[in-house]
Amino acid sequence: MNELLGKLAACIEFGKVNLASPYPPHMKDQEGADEITRRALDGGVDPQDILYFGLMPGMERVGIKFRENRVFVPQVLMSARAMSTAMLHLKPYFLSGAARQKGTYIIGTVLGDLHDIGKNLVAMMVEGNGYKVVDLGTDVNSEKFIAAIKENTGAVVGLSALLTTTMVNMQHITSEIKKAVPETLVTIGGAPVNHDFCKKIGADFYAPDPQGVVEFLNKK
Amino acid sequence: MMNREFNFRLDELVIDQQEVAAVLGYDEGPLPEPFDSYLEQAMDESFGLTDIRAAYRIVDDIMVNEKEHLLMACGLAFKVGKTVCGELKGSQRLAFFICSAGKTISEKAEKLLKGEDPVLGYVYNVVGNAIAEAAGNRMQLFLKQAMEKSGDLITNRYSPGYCHWNVADQHKLFSLFPDSTCGVSLTSSALMQPVKSISGVIGIGRNVKYRAYPCELCSAANCIYRRTMHH
Ligand code: B12
Repeated sequence: MNELLGKLAACIEFGKVNLASPYPPHMKDQEGADEITRRALDGGVDPQDILYFGLMPGMERVGIKFRENRVFVPQVLMSARAMSTAMLHLKPYFLSGAARQKGTYIIGTVLGDLHDIGKNLVAMMVEGNGYKVVDLGTDVNSEKFIAAIKENTGAVVGLSALLTTTMVNMQHITSEIKKAVPETLVTIGGAPVNHDFCKKIGADFYAPDPQGVVEFLNKK
Repeated sequence: MMNREFNFRLDELVIDQQEVAAVLGYDEGPLPEPFDSYLEQAMDESFGLTDIRAAYRIVDDIMVNEKEHLLMACGLAFKVGKTVCGELKGSQRLAFFICSAGKTISEKAEKLLKGEDPVLGYVYNVVGNAIAEAAGNRMQLFLKQAMEKSGDLITNRYSPGYCHWNVADQHKLFSLFPDSTCGVSLTSSALMQPVKSISGVIGIGRNVKYRAYPCELCSAANCIYRRTMHH
């Protein structure tokens, strides 16, 4: 594959944003995701290939390392920053249809809950793995989820909660979603959530980490 | 009954910077750029915080019901579960508490996380968590010293939401305090605001035992703190 795309994947993996960014120490004074994406586009590399063979492999490696506790939240946020810098260059191609994402993922923290770090990490990783992400924010009720599903046909939904008192709201939201648009797949996560709870409330998938949901989406 | 409220400055608190660094992913060696300057910025700014607060209320109308895993206080039944009941065994009084790193840092972290600079926001977030816990430690030390005067000992602190104690009991806990004690309020879903806040209970008595809070007590299997934290 294009040497530039290999470099871009490394920028995403290690969170190298641009030339000026001192992070990570071992890539100091090198070009980052910003310059390399620009250069690839200017050199005629297909934007779709940039997404599939530059950004996605990089983000996949981050997801796996995070799951294995080899990197922590700040390093993932650095990778996400590198990725969104690259995405800025690609946005026009997504809008024009010259490049396409793999599908849409709607995510939100459920009614009554305001925690969003975990939800944001999931959103970033799913986006970095080639999906369009619609982030509804925190304290999201079933109506808002349903409206977003109707706007984005075929989208998969992600619900996040960090307290047992708000986790219970996932049940109502899931059943309302299934009532309104029965074929919708609902994925759930957050510190107090587990596989048994997922089964109990009739959701389709639980993952303890973002990579889990990426793998679920990729299998569909 | 005895109530106390504290307003802490950061320089009165002990923040374990190594623990903060570990949560940021660097348990060994110096923090690389930009995390070193981010942490410095968050700490420097936090020295100016004026809304780090803690409060405890001591109640003597209590009973630890080990059979039903209940804690009775002021006519309220707290369903604390077996573990917490065991830890509080022998208490003659209980100190309920609320501690908060305050609105300033909670909101600053959130704002940065949502927009401008999520990485810096996360560093503020971690510092805010550390301040909330450090305020808890300081409050606990003051309580210990106050109780020693009457020859009493204290247990470690235990919080709703840990060790099978349902977070919903936060409503009962907050009913023991005047509204917005420490500037903290509770939503109907039992979420404290500002977010960088903690609450719980400490046992007091001649024969209670202080035990370190081992991770083994907790049921959170994939907690990021299992690796890094000492509680
Ligand atoms: C830091 C922390 C705090 C800090 C800051 C809290 C804050 N709101 O900012 C402080 C010390 C202040 C605190 C206080 C309390 N906390 Co606390 N806290 C934590 C801790 C250790 C880490 C949370 C965190 O930042 N995680 C990092 C993020 C990135 O992880 P995450 O949000 O879980 O998201 C990840 C996954 O869950 C997943 N995910 C998340 N959403 C989704 C969605 C989908 C679709 C998928 C697939 C995956 C997914 O992917 C993310 C990335 O891996 C957790 C335990 C833990 N290790 O998780 C307890 C935890 C969240 N706290 C808990 C509790 C109980 C409390 C208190 C109620 C205790 C008390 N009585 O004082 C208070 C409540 C505070 C409030 N405002 O109401 C409980 C909540 C569970 C419950 N019983 O309800 C936890 C889980 C600990 C436990 N007992 O197991 N807490």
